[in-house]
Amino acid sequence: MKTYGGASSSRARKRVGIADFAVTTDGAVLTTSGLGSCLGIGLRDERAGVAGLIHVMLPTAPEEPPNVAKYADTGVDAVLTAMRDEGASPDRVRAKLAGGSAMFEFDSQDEPIGERNVAVTRTTLDRLGIPVDAEDVGGDSGRSIRFHADTGDLRIKSAGTERRI
Amino acid sequence: MRVDIQSLGTYNRLAQEGAEHAAASLTGMTGIETYVDVTNVTLMSKRDVEDVFGGTQFVGVQIGLGGGLSGETALAFDRDSAASIVDVLVPGASAGDDDEFDDMARSGISEIGNIMMGGFVDGWADYLSTSVDMTPPTYVERDGTDVLPGGALDRAEEEHVFVFESQMTAVDAEIDAYIYMLPEYGAFAEMLSASEDHDDAIPMDKLTVFDEMTRQGAERAAENVSSMTGIETDVDVSRLSFVPIEDVPNTARDEVYLGTVMEFTGTPGGYLAILFDEPSARTIVDATVPMELDEPLGDMGESAIQEMGNIMTSGFIDGWANVLQTSIDHTPPELVHDLGTAILSPIAGRLGQSQEYAFLMDSTVVTPEGEFNCEIYAIPDEQKLKEALDALLVERSDQLEANRESLF
Repeated sequence: MKTYGGASSSRARKRVGIADFAVTTDGAVLTTSGLGSCLGIGLRDERAGVAGLIHVMLPTAPEEPPNVAKYADTGVDAVLTAMRDEGASPDRVRAKLAGGSAMFEFDSQDEPIGERNVAVTRTTLDRLGIPVDAEDVGGDSGRSIRFHADTGDLRIKSAGTERRI
Repeated sequence: MRVDIQSLGTYNRLAQEGAEHAAASLTGMTGIETYVDVTNVTLMSKRDVEDVFGGTQFVGVQIGLGGGLSGETALAFDRDSAASIVDVLVPGASAGDDDEFDDMARSGISEIGNIMMGGFVDGWADYLSTSVDMTPPTYVERDGTDVLPGGALDRAEEEHVFVFESQMTAVDAEIDAYIYMLPEYGAFAEMLSASEDHDDAIPMDKLTVFDEMTRQGAERAAENVSSMTGIETDVDVSRLSFVPIEDVPNTARDEVYLGTVMEFTGTPGGYLAILFDEPSARTIVDATVPMELDEPLGDMGESAIQEMGNIMTSGFIDGWANVLQTSIDHTPPELVHDLGTAILSPIAGRLGQSQEYAFLMDSTVVTPEGEFNCEIYAIPDEQKLKEALDALLVERSDQLEANRESLF
């Protein structure tokens, strides 16, 4: 899913779908909703004023994936490349994570998807030398998030509560 | 005819890309930022088509296709969305809430329809390396199924029709637009048909049996709700669609639901989610629990919904078992109270480990007075669905009809 329009939009809010990402250079609020076992990864280079948000569904991509944004490993690379194209420097980028819950018994044993999404994302970020500043992962509730590109705030709504990391 | 799952996937992707071009055109002309919500291809019977389109007033255009891709298309806005677009596009045209759309408004809609559908069709023409001819747009302002190109419903009566559907939504405004494409059956069947020994091919006649299974499962589930609540129910929509796995969660609305989810552990494997939006859940609880409960629903209310989910699940499974003539194993239904997209995301995730696309069977149980509605999502594992269909004798579809008649 892609959104059209963009920087000139008065509200400066960009919606990110499932297996999708967005990058902003003008401090927009990047949002994604309905993260269950899926994971939201917010990346930001404060000095360059470039930020990105991706909503990944699965941990590891197969060979030649039709959509790189669906997977944690190829997805992180894709956002980072898009951010670099907008002037971000990978060695200044920092990350925040939210999502990766295990909502059902059938998804709680035998390597839950949410847990693996978080693990593969951490490994991928670690390999790229990107520190994780904060995270709100696991549990058994869904999350909707807003990543404020200007401040780096990640606001999370989950099970009727709101929090900020 | 056998249907090749991979090629169905390719055409679904073409429709998605086409819809993105159309959404970009809409954004370019109106400045309203839009995105493509869901694209799916659905196999519909006449009854399905009537269920899906019934009761809504649409404004839009119809365009016929010929050349390398023959069929019919419609671009439809609900009336309010069309009025908003006319306001932006042709200021001064009359398209208010109570007004008739005047000539300026109509030509504005026709123009944007023509441009959007041009974008939609280009991708297909490129892929098929052919040219596709479009008839001039015909402006339509109609109720329900009448918005569909002429003859589509009649064809659905004789055989199932494939319907490509894309929904576009504006980011900040209440605007919804839909693109429908109904390829001419014979030609499309030829495009889809695979060789007999193709691994991924599914026999077309069995796929239609599976469509009937969904309806029967939903009807049994609805009967069980009626007997629990004393409220008359009906199955409004029941259809089998084919969507990219990452679009599965988006088929539920972005709001909080209560319900149950369980996993089929035998053949066919997969998942079943039975979901009530919160007001509907409240109605169900009030109808089944003989005391006043607090707002919002607490443990007592949730356990009433759990009970309802169990009973509907067993009805749904009876419907499937009846068609497949086999017992169906499953995990106990688990209570869930969360955002619809979050509820469906682990299901998409688990299936997504081994398949790119999903067969999604969604049904809606409604009541005549609108007391509540309930969404039922059955999402089989692709490989196990194929095994189940391979094992299914086609003669059983006749038996299904017989059983259905004996039910009522």
